[in-house]
Amino acid sequence: MSKLGCSSRLVVILGIVLLALFLASFVMGPLGSKFFNIQVPTELQVSKPHVVLPSEAMFHVGDFKITNTLISSWITIILLCLLFFFATRKMKIIPGRLQSFAEVVVDGIYNTIEGVAGEKHVRTFFPIVTTIFIYVVTNALLALTPFWGSWGPIEHVTEGAHSATVIVPFLRAANTDINLTLSIALVSFIFIEYLGFSKIGPLKYIDSFFQFSALGKAFGQLFKGDGKAFISGLAFGFINIYVGLLEILSHFIRIVSFTFRLFGNMTAGEILLGVMTFLVAFIAPVPFYGLETLVGFLQAMIFAGLTLVFGVMAVTSHHEEGAEHN
Amino acid sequence: MENIGVNWQLVVAFLINFLVLFGLLTAILYKPVLKMLDERAAKIKESLEQAEKIKEQTSRSEEQIKAAVEAARKEGQVIIAQASQIAEKIKEEAKDGARKEADAIVIKARDAIKLERDKSIADLRSEFSNLTILAAEKVIKESLDAPKHRKLINEVLEQSNTFKQN
Repeated sequence: MSKLGCSSRLVVILGIVLLALFLASFVMGPLGSKFFNIQVPTELQVSKPHVVLPSEAMFHVGDFKITNTLISSWITIILLCLLFFFATRKMKIIPGRLQSFAEVVVDGIYNTIEGVAGEKHVRTFFPIVTTIFIYVVTNALLALTPFWGSWGPIEHVTEGAHSATVIVPFLRAANTDINLTLSIALVSFIFIEYLGFSKIGPLKYIDSFFQFSALGKAFGQLFKGDGKAFISGLAFGFINIYVGLLEILSHFIRIVSFTFRLFGNMTAGEILLGVMTFLVAFIAPVPFYGLETLVGFLQAMIFAGLTLVFGVMAVTSHHEEGAEHN
Repeated sequence: MENIGVNWQLVVAFLINFLVLFGLLTAILYKPVLKMLDERAAKIKESLEQAEKIKEQTSRSEEQIKAAVEAARKEGQVIIAQASQIAEKIKEEAKDGARKEADAIVIKARDAIKLERDKSIADLRSEFSNLTILAAEKVIKESLDAPKHRKLINEVLEQSNTFKQN
């Protein structure tokens, strides 16, 4: 009983400390200091987030810029490889903890893909889709750790009349670099089109856009002497070709939408966290960190899931596909 | 495009990053784990099949045992029935034998008695005739008068009595 009382007292004290921290940071922050009209030394203020869309170069190797996002993505790769290397170094029938973790990850994603793509195509989609998911989600979650975006040289920037001090971080959330999202989008696009060509055959795949076979059938009607059917078949054939052109365009637009969906969401998340930290330095940003964790998962799932769905659409023939286009 | 930082060199760098990660994860994660999962699934399937087989075998052998027990019981009953039949037969035979033996003994005894009697009768007759002859001799030898006659007969009878008692 006394132990419980002690721990509940501890909780109360902790709560009071956190509340005090929240109130202090609110009062000292830009909102509070304006409201109560107090001067706060700039050393105690969190600088206003300075949005820089291109990633900043840390080093130059010849003509090539090594940016902070590139370093982040290397760290992601190294961490993932270390983790899974030790997890799967000695595979046992009765798994240890790390092996169980690796198995849960693989098995969970595998079953999800199986549910969407069917048993026949799982192993085709599994490696690429899983790599996209793990890469994006690890980038997103690593970016929420303390080192990211907060550690680096301070630079003074002047924008018109205002001048501000900005941190140029050594490590920046890798997903906020459009080059990274574009590279994954390209992988996804090439993978999908490659599947279309290789799995259902190049001619059939191209035909699935334009429906040349329907046009051929219309000419067949002409030879049979059915003029009316020929005319309508010809009309539908040209409509199909037009629709096919639009569809090809839509396949290319997927690259853009993939790129900007991830880039936009992640950049917005970074800015949101920056703004919240700027307004109230303590406690208030915590729920937003939770939100960003969720968003990271969600965006990774969306990226991987859309790749999967588009891939499934490419490997199933046009007729089976029905009304799945959008 | 420059404003948001698209840079083809970086795109290529990230592409290489992705492909490196893809290759490494394939080597150290997907292949071993999927292999292990497949192996485990195969093992579980095998064990289940084996368990099913064993169950089937058990039920089959149980049935066999039941059938064997049933057959043994039937056989036992047959044997018991046979045994009791045999016993009945033996009893009957024994009874018959005893009766026959008894009959034979009785007949033998009766024969023996009859023989004895015949012999005694024959003995008696010869004795009696001897006596009669003796008496007649005496009678003939002496002059016969009534009291003397009586006395003679008594004498003979007494003699025969003494004979009899011997």
